[in-house]
Amino acid sequence: MEQKPILVVDDDPDALEIVGTFLESRGYRVATAPDGRQALAKVDELRPDLVLLDVMMPGMDGWEVCRLIKNHPEYGDTRVVMLTARGEFADKQEGLRCGADDYIVKPIRLDELGKKVERNLDARRREQ
Amino acid sequence: MRILARVREDQLRRALQSIADARGAVLVDAGPFTEDEFDDAIRAAPDVVVVESGEVDDLAQLRAETDGAGSALIIACHDSTECQAAALANADEWILLPCDEKEIDIRIRTAQQRAEGIHLPRRTEETVERLRYQELLYDRLTGFPTLAVMIDRARELLDRRGELTILYIHYVWYSKIEEIYGWQKLDDVLESTAAAVRDFYAEERDHGDNLMMVSHVADDDFILFTHVPVEPELAERRLKTLTSRLEGFLRARIEQEHGEEIAALVGVYVGTATVFRNPKIRTERLIYRAIREAADAARSAEEWERTLKISDLKATLREGAVFMEYHPIIVSRTEEIYGFEALARGTRRSLRSPEVLFQVAEEANLIWELSRLLRQRAVQGILPHLKKDQFLFLNVDPHDFDDPEFRNLDAKELGIDDPGRIVLEITERTAIKDYPRFQEYLAAFRERGFRFAVDDAGSGYAGLGSIANLAPDFIKLDISLISNIDSNFLKQNLVETIVGFAEGQGAQVVAEGVERREEFETVRDLGVHLTQGFLFHKPRYAGPPE
Repeated sequence: MEQKPILVVDDDPDALEIVGTFLESRGYRVATAPDGRQALAKVDELRPDLVLLDVMMPGMDGWEVCRLIKNHPEYGDTRVVMLTARGEFADKQEGLRCGADDYIVKPIRLDELGKKVERNLDARRREQ
Repeated sequence: MRILARVREDQLRRALQSIADARGAVLVDAGPFTEDEFDDAIRAAPDVVVVESGEVDDLAQLRAETDGAGSALIIACHDSTECQAAALANADEWILLPCDEKEIDIRIRTAQQRAEGIHLPRRTEETVERLRYQELLYDRLTGFPTLAVMIDRARELLDRRGELTILYIHYVWYSKIEEIYGWQKLDDVLESTAAAVRDFYAEERDHGDNLMMVSHVADDDFILFTHVPVEPELAERRLKTLTSRLEGFLRARIEQEHGEEIAALVGVYVGTATVFRNPKIRTERLIYRAIREAADAARSAEEWERTLKISDLKATLREGAVFMEYHPIIVSRTEEIYGFEALARGTRRSLRSPEVLFQVAEEANLIWELSRLLRQRAVQGILPHLKKDQFLFLNVDPHDFDDPEFRNLDAKELGIDDPGRIVLEITERTAIKDYPRFQEYLAAFRERGFRFAVDDAGSGYAGLGSIANLAPDFIKLDISLISNIDSNFLKQNLVETIVGFAEGQGAQVVAEGVERREEFETVRDLGVHLTQGFLFHKPRYAGPPE
């Protein structure tokens, strides 16, 4: 079976590049989207197992995108990991409210990113 | 009341002004406003927004904004195409100009009534644009055609048969259902109600009845169209049986699929209205009017049931017709029973659910009386079975602190020597109005040795801020934080944070709603001191703890 891609969503092209390259080097397939609207279209099209989602984006923010993914009847079981610049409690609460599974505090440490991607994909596999 | 108006026609503006004057309302004329000023004016949440068609480019956007502000939206239209556009945009009401003042006044009222209904959080509304068009024609949650689509067919039926009867299914829920189970649950229940309506429809159709159906998108109500016999008595009888069969069918289905507890929080009321063809009046208007009439009938059925519930509550208080269940709390490490949380149930069927019991008491202003009865029962019931080192957790509402009798609560009088074994669980689901005074009351209780727990921590009602303010002895983590915690790392991280925080404060953390072994092991390993949930015990009638 062909491996499903990981979708990375960030309005910062540099961040997309870094995260994308890193994940590809680890052997994952990667798809990217620069904003929430395109992210939703990509989720609809590719049905990724995992979405890495930046919180601070112009237009629809990451929380909103997460909420829409998580409440969708067809792909609500997609794992969503938030990329957040702030590690405050309020953010985590917001993350819970919108159904996020995990989060990574920015600036992203690549070893942490690798670990979190792996454990979320594991959890996803166990759920299936 | 505030009315925000953006209209060109002088006559309409004058009519609105005179309505506002008559009702002691304020009319804000947004005619000269810029786009931004107008948006700001909507954000200020007026009660009603009246917009003349053509004044605003994007009606859907306007609807979203007024929805966000909780305002009723009325569109003043110049022709039927514009009326249709208003309907498609989910306006609460529309006016076909020219229109006399009296009718405008009525439309404002009905618009307000409709806007008052709680709206479901929208699911995918802001998402992908191509869905948008589809959504206008078919309700995304239920898959039913919307009113705008069905009105054509209804008109056809009315024209052909000369008569059309509307069954309006008014769907309500106690606000607690959303607080406790989340709006996803609400969506689920609505979805299965829709399925039940669909099945009922199919069943009736098999019996040769001419039913056709609509889902009303603005509310969460459904509409069925049917025909009744010409003879009034026969018509009435048929409608009565159809109505009660439909209500019974829907209730049974909700109970079957979601359990009695949820079913108790949902109400389904059916109202009917029959419309006859009248060539002098535009058919759409006849149909819309009849729909409103049926809706009013359904709402008055709801009113009636509410009244019955209040009288049931009064009888309950008079007879002391409540019973208590006790939900054990165990020590995570040893799995021994640490204490019991007392949970109240009404014995009357209509008041079985504690949420309904409390909501009705609140509406009837009998909350203190109910609380007094429950406290007394809670202690009496468990006392003979409570071991010396076990705690009793009692739910209290912040409102209870306004009750002088509660403030004089005496553990000894209740039969417990050490007030420290009574833990008062406070939930902030009811807002605390006067915080400083509340703090004072708490301090007085604490001084007398009572302990406190913050209930529902992590549910959004009790954030870390309020936990810090209350300085509780126990922090009870909401079930939403516990369910599937074994696979959600964000939840794990949050619980870990709270446990660390609690330990710094000398408080203990209780995990509520633990249902699976994996969840238990996860919270235990995160250092959660106490656990409560179906995995170990269900709430049970007072009896010796085994």
